[in-house]
Amino acid sequence: MTQDQPLLAVQEALRKCFPVVEEQQGLWQSSLRDCQPLLASLSNLAEQLQAAQNLRFEDVPPLRAFPDLKERLRRKQLAAGDTVLDKLGERLAALLKVRDTVSRHVEQVLEIYGQHAGSIGVGAVLQASAASPSVADMLEWLQDVERHYRDSYLKRKYLLSSIQWGDLANIQALPKAWDQISEDEHQSLVQDTLLNVSFFLEE
Amino acid sequence: MAANTVGSTAPRKPVLSVSARKIKDNAADWHNLILKWETLNDTGFATANSIANLKIRLCSEDETELQGSSPASGEGADKALPEYSKELETLCEELQTTFDALAKIQMKMEKLSSTTKGVCELENYHYADGRHRPPLFHTWPTTHFYEVSRKLSDMYRKELLLKRTVTEELAHATDHDLALSYLSMWLHQPYVETDSKLLLESMLLETGHRAL
Repeated sequence: MTQDQPLLAVQEALRKCFPVVEEQQGLWQSSLRDCQPLLASLSNLAEQLQAAQNLRFEDVPPLRAFPDLKERLRRKQLAAGDTVLDKLGERLAALLKVRDTVSRHVEQVLEIYGQHAGSIGVGAVLQASAASPSVADMLEWLQDVERHYRDSYLKRKYLLSSIQWGDLANIQALPKAWDQISEDEHQSLVQDTLLNVSFFLEE
Repeated sequence: MAANTVGSTAPRKPVLSVSARKIKDNAADWHNLILKWETLNDTGFATANSIANLKIRLCSEDETELQGSSPASGEGADKALPEYSKELETLCEELQTTFDALAKIQMKMEKLSSTTKGVCELENYHYADGRHRPPLFHTWPTTHFYEVSRKLSDMYRKELLLKRTVTEELAHATDHDLALSYLSMWLHQPYVETDSKLLLESMLLETGHRAL
């Protein structure tokens, strides 16, 4: 029995970690969903800014009565854009929090494994059963999941930090670029992993 | 003149509390009028958006009509066009109705400013001897209410002028950039400055509609 103790400790840590991943995945998805309408309105605003920029207000007779209109409109459009950017910033912070929470929990599991690695035989680490994947596989999957959040967060942060009101074409293309990140990712990685460990978690 | 008669007959203190009452009611009216304005602005934007979309559809159909050379397609377009114009007409009437409602609100705003001015004049009459004027509420001198009212009225007056232009011109705009800019103007209200919210809220705070 005492020989199994270290293995049981690692399995216990794994059993605690996967539900956290599941919960965080829910938060991650909902934050991503929140971003889509925000990006759409940014793109829309960029189109409005572009249209007003292309337009020669002084050449439109009905608008001649409003000499300061172009500047005023631009200021209001940019203010609306800043409001959307603030909201996007909040969503990005939520994504970062998911990334950090997952990283912290995965790290803990790896630490516990590190403490016991010496006393668990290689055979036990690699041994899988019909209901339970091997400890080695599960540790690897956790690291994959962690890397997935890390990469995805970085790409999204990079995309959002590229936003500049001087480059309206880039802003108009944001929704597509955002979706492209999701498409390039292994979309079902987290779901697949959770599915693979579902029997293990029920044990 | 009317203010003078009231002032000369009524005792001093009740007149002042009537002034405070009036100013407080005005502040509440400002709040409600601006809320109504915002709702109408949303309604109007939805209509304006439909007008712009319909225009784009009409324009693209005009183009297909020009490209199609067979008499059959020409006939189809003849039938379709008046129907679309009818739709456009209905939408334009809708926008006009919204504009009229906005104009009514703006008139009420002007009225608020002029009653506030009246209250100031009444106070001037009462304190013509240069005595110290206690504030009606916390810290604002009465003239400050008029200044804020005036500022807000001016913003909405200019905004209404712009909205009239958009209401009249949107359906005639053939240029995409122009149509989109009209829509953007309606939505973002460039003449309603961002500090209007602050002006309103500070007035509500001073009059006790908002808790400190």
